[in-house]
Amino acid sequence: MIKRSITTVLLAVALLILSVWSLFVGVIDLHLSDLLSGDLAQLEVFIISRLPRLLALLCTGVGMSVAGLIMQQLCMNKFVSPTTGATISSAQLGILLALLFLPGSTLWGRALFAFAAAILGTWVFVWFIQRIQFKDVVMVPLVGIMFGNVIGGITSYLAYQYDMTQALSTWLVGHFSLVVRGRFELVYLTVPLVLLAFLFANHFNIVGMGRDFSKNLGVSYNLVLFTGLSIAAMITASVVVVVGSISYIGLIVPNVVAMFKGDRIRGTLADTALFGAIFVLACDMLARVVIAPYELPIELVVGIIGSLLFIGLLLYRLRHGRKSVRLGPAHSGGCASSIAQPEKEGSI
Amino acid sequence: MKVTELTKQYDGKTVLNGVSFEIPKGKVISLIGPNGAGKSTVMGIISRLVARDAGLVDFAGKDISKWKSQELSKRLAILTQSNQIQMKLTVRELVAFGRFPYSGGRITPEDQQKIDEAIAYMELEAFEDRFIDELSGGQRQRAMIAMVIAQDTEFILLDEPTNNLDIYHASNMMKIVRRLCDELGKTVILVLHEINYAAFYSDYICAFADGKIVKFGTVKEVMTRQTLSEIYKVDFEILEVAGKPLSIYY
Amino acid sequence: MKTAAYRANVRKLILLAALAALAAAAYLLVEVDPRYAAFVMRLRIPKLIVMLIAAFAIGGASIVFQSVINNTIVTPCLLGMNSLYTLIHTAVVFAAGSGSVLAVNGNISFAVDLVIMGVTATLIYSYLFRKTNHNVLYVLLIGTVLTSFFTSIQSTLTRVMDPNEYDTLLSTLVASFSNVNAEIILFAIVLLAVLVFLLRRDLALLNVLTLGKAQAINLGVDYDKSIRRLLLGVTLAIAVATAVVGPISFMGLIVANLARQLLKTYRHSQLMLGSIFFGMIVLVGGQLIVEHVYSYAIPINVFITVGGGIYFLYLLLTKRKV
Repeated sequence: MIKRSITTVLLAVALLILSVWSLFVGVIDLHLSDLLSGDLAQLEVFIISRLPRLLALLCTGVGMSVAGLIMQQLCMNKFVSPTTGATISSAQLGILLALLFLPGSTLWGRALFAFAAAILGTWVFVWFIQRIQFKDVVMVPLVGIMFGNVIGGITSYLAYQYDMTQALSTWLVGHFSLVVRGRFELVYLTVPLVLLAFLFANHFNIVGMGRDFSKNLGVSYNLVLFTGLSIAAMITASVVVVVGSISYIGLIVPNVVAMFKGDRIRGTLADTALFGAIFVLACDMLARVVIAPYELPIELVVGIIGSLLFIGLLLYRLRHGRKSVRLGPAHSGGCASSIAQPEKEGSI
Repeated sequence: MKVTELTKQYDGKTVLNGVSFEIPKGKVISLIGPNGAGKSTVMGIISRLVARDAGLVDFAGKDISKWKSQELSKRLAILTQSNQIQMKLTVRELVAFGRFPYSGGRITPEDQQKIDEAIAYMELEAFEDRFIDELSGGQRQRAMIAMVIAQDTEFILLDEPTNNLDIYHASNMMKIVRRLCDELGKTVILVLHEINYAAFYSDYICAFADGKIVKFGTVKEVMTRQTLSEIYKVDFEILEVAGKPLSIYY
Repeated sequence: MKTAAYRANVRKLILLAALAALAAAAYLLVEVDPRYAAFVMRLRIPKLIVMLIAAFAIGGASIVFQSVINNTIVTPCLLGMNSLYTLIHTAVVFAAGSGSVLAVNGNISFAVDLVIMGVTATLIYSYLFRKTNHNVLYVLLIGTVLTSFFTSIQSTLTRVMDPNEYDTLLSTLVASFSNVNAEIILFAIVLLAVLVFLLRRDLALLNVLTLGKAQAINLGVDYDKSIRRLLLGVTLAIAVATAVVGPISFMGLIVANLARQLLKTYRHSQLMLGSIFFGMIVLVGGQLIVEHVYSYAIPINVFITVGGGIYFLYLLLTKRKV
C-alpha cells in the first residue's frame, strides 16, 4: 500500500517545491523575509499577481490533464483529448458567439456560452465516433482533428466576417500574463469538477470497458458517459475562458502517467492531476525566464515541449508495442488486467 | 525451400528461436501449434512479409532477401488472414490482380486465359461480376484462392485459410488445398488451427511450440499422443479413421 | 478488360469533363461587356488557369492520399501544408513588415513558400517514415502534431502583432486566385508535370497498393518505398497548390469522395480524373458564384470549408467503418 502511493507522494512534494519557487520568480523580486515583515508593496504583488497566477496555473494543469484522462478513459482511446476531441475548438466558438451576440457580456456570460458549446461539441464528437468502427486507433484522433477543423473553420469565418480575428486570438493562445485578481476566479470551477471526477472514477473505468460490460455491472452507460464528457468539457471550457487554449496537456500527461502506472483510472487520477500541475508550472517558469523581463505565452512553451514529448511517446509506443513501462507494482485489479491484454503473436 | 536457424523477437520477447526445416516439393505441409508458438511468424518470414532477426531462408538456391520481389512473386504466393479489401472490386478484377507480377496493369491474352482458368477451377463463373464485398465468407475465400491460382506459382502459402469458415466451407477449402497439390502440382504450406484437418489433408506436419519446432515429419510421425500432448499440454487420444490418424482431445 | 462498368465510367468522365469545360466557359464569358472583352479576358484567363492548376493538384493528390492511407475519410490538409503556409506568411510580416519585398513581390513570396514547404515536408516526412518503420498512420498523426505546433507559433506571433499589419496579413491568408502572374503559373505547371513524371511508376501501382500491404508485397511490389514516394509527392503537390492559391482545406475531401461515389471503381486512373474534374467544377463554379452572386463578399474557401464540413459529417454518418 505504501509502496503503491510512493510516486504520488513524490509528485506531491515536487509540486509543492515548484509552487513555492514559482511564487518568487518574476519581474519584481520578492523575498520571503520582506513578505513576513509586512512589506506592503511586496505583499500586494504577492496577493494580486503571484498567488492568483499560481492558483490559475495549478487549476489549469490539474483540470486539463484530468479532463484528458476522463475523455481517454470514456472513449477507450489513448489519443482522445480536449484538443483532439473538438472540445477546445467548440469552446472557442462559444466564446466568439458570446462576443458577437452579447457584446457587453461579462466573463461569466462568455463562460456560459463556452460551457454550452464545449459540452455540445464533445457530445456530438463522441456520438459520431461511437457509431463508427475504426480500422486503427489512430483514426480516432485524426477524425477528431478534422472535426475540430470544421468547427475552427466556422469560428474563423465568423471572426473574419465581423473583424474579430485578433480579438479572438486572445482565447486561441493560452497565456497567464493577464491572470490577476478579479479576472481569473472562474478557473476555480475546475476544483469541484475535478473532485466530481474523483468521485466517479470507478464509474468511468467501468464505462470505459464498453456498453455491455457496464450494463452487466448495473451501471447506466449513457448517463455516466455523458456526465463524464460534460465534466471534461466544462473543465476545458473554464480554462479556455480564463487563460485561453492550451493544447497537449490533456493528451500527454495522462499518457505519460499511464506509461508508468498502468491504465486504471482510480489509481492514476491523483498522479495525473499532480503531474499535470507540475508540467504546467514548469512550462510557465520557462516561459517567464527565457526572455525575461518579457514572457512567452505558455501555449508556445507547452506547444514546443508538448509536441516533442508526444512525438517521442508515439515513437516509443510504436517500437515497444502497447506494453507500458511499469516502474511501480502493476495493478492487479480486474479492469487493469483485462485492458492490458498480452500482445498477440505478430500476425502477418 | 530450406529454412535455417530462424530467429525473431517482438518487444524483446522471443517468438522464434532457431527454427530450421526443409520443405519437400509438391506436397501439402501444415504448420500447427498453440497460439503464439510462432507458426504465422515463420509463414511471414518465408514469404518476405516479416523481417527476421537472424537465420536464412533459401529459396531455389538463393536467399529470399536476394530475390527481386517481382521475380519471387512469380514463384511464391501468400494469402494472409487480413483481406479487408475496401475497394469496389469484382471477383474477376480481383483474380486479374494475380497476373500483376507478369504484365503489370495491362492484361495480355495469355493473362486473360490464366484468369479464365483460375475462375473456372474455383467454379466462380456465376459470381465473376459480383463485387467482393457482396460475397459470403466462403465465396470470398475462394475468390482469393483463384487469384493465387492466377498468380501461377510453384509455392502457395496460406495463413489459416479455414479461419472464420463453417464446417462445410472449411472442409471444402481443405479439399481445394489437396487438389492444388495433386492436380496442379503445387507445394502448399498452410497454418492450421484444426489439427484434424492437418492430419487428414496434408502430407507433412510441422508442429511448433514456444518458438521452436517440436516435430517435423509425415502425418503418421507427428500425430502421436506423446507429441500432441507435449505441444498442446492437454491429453490426446489418437484414432484411425479411413487410414488416417485422427485426434480427440477434451 | 473493358467491362460494362468501365465503359459506363468513361461516359461519366466525359460528362464531368464537359461540365468542367462548361463552368470554365461560363466563368470567362458571364457578364462580359464586348467593348472591354480583351481587358476582361486578360484578368479572367490567368485566374481560370490558376483554378485549374489547383484543382489538378488537389484533386489528384487527394485520391492518392486516401489510397495511400487506405481510408476515404482523410484529406491532405492533415499534412499540415496549410498551417505551414500561414506560419511562413505571418513570420515574414512579423519579421520584415507587410511592406517588405518578401511580402509584396509575388514571385519572391511564392519562391519562399515553395522552398520552405518543400524542404520541410521532404525532411520531416522522410525522417518520420524511417523512424516509424513506414507506419503511415503514425506518420500522419505526428504530422498533425507538427501542424498544431506551427499553429501555436503562428497565433503567438499574431497576438503581438501590430493590428494594421495584421489586417494586411489576414488578406493574404485567404485563398485567392488573383495576384498570380504568368511566371508563377508556368512554374507551377512545370513543377507538377515533373512531379507526375517522377512518380509515374508509383502511380501505376496504386491499384495494387490498395489491396493492402500483404497482398501488394505478394504481388511483387516494394510497398514501403512506393507509399513513401507517393505520400511525399502528395505533400509536394499540395505545397505547390497552397503556394499558388493559399490554404484551401476540405476541398480534397469533397472532390475525392464525390469521384469515388460517382465512379465506384478501384481504377485510380479513372478516380483521379474524376476527382480532378470535380475539383475544377467546384472551384470554377464556386468562384463564379462568389464573384457574380455575392460580389466577393464571401471568400470561396468559406464555401468550401462549410460545404466540406457538412459533407465530412455526412460521410461519417453514412460510413460504418473508417
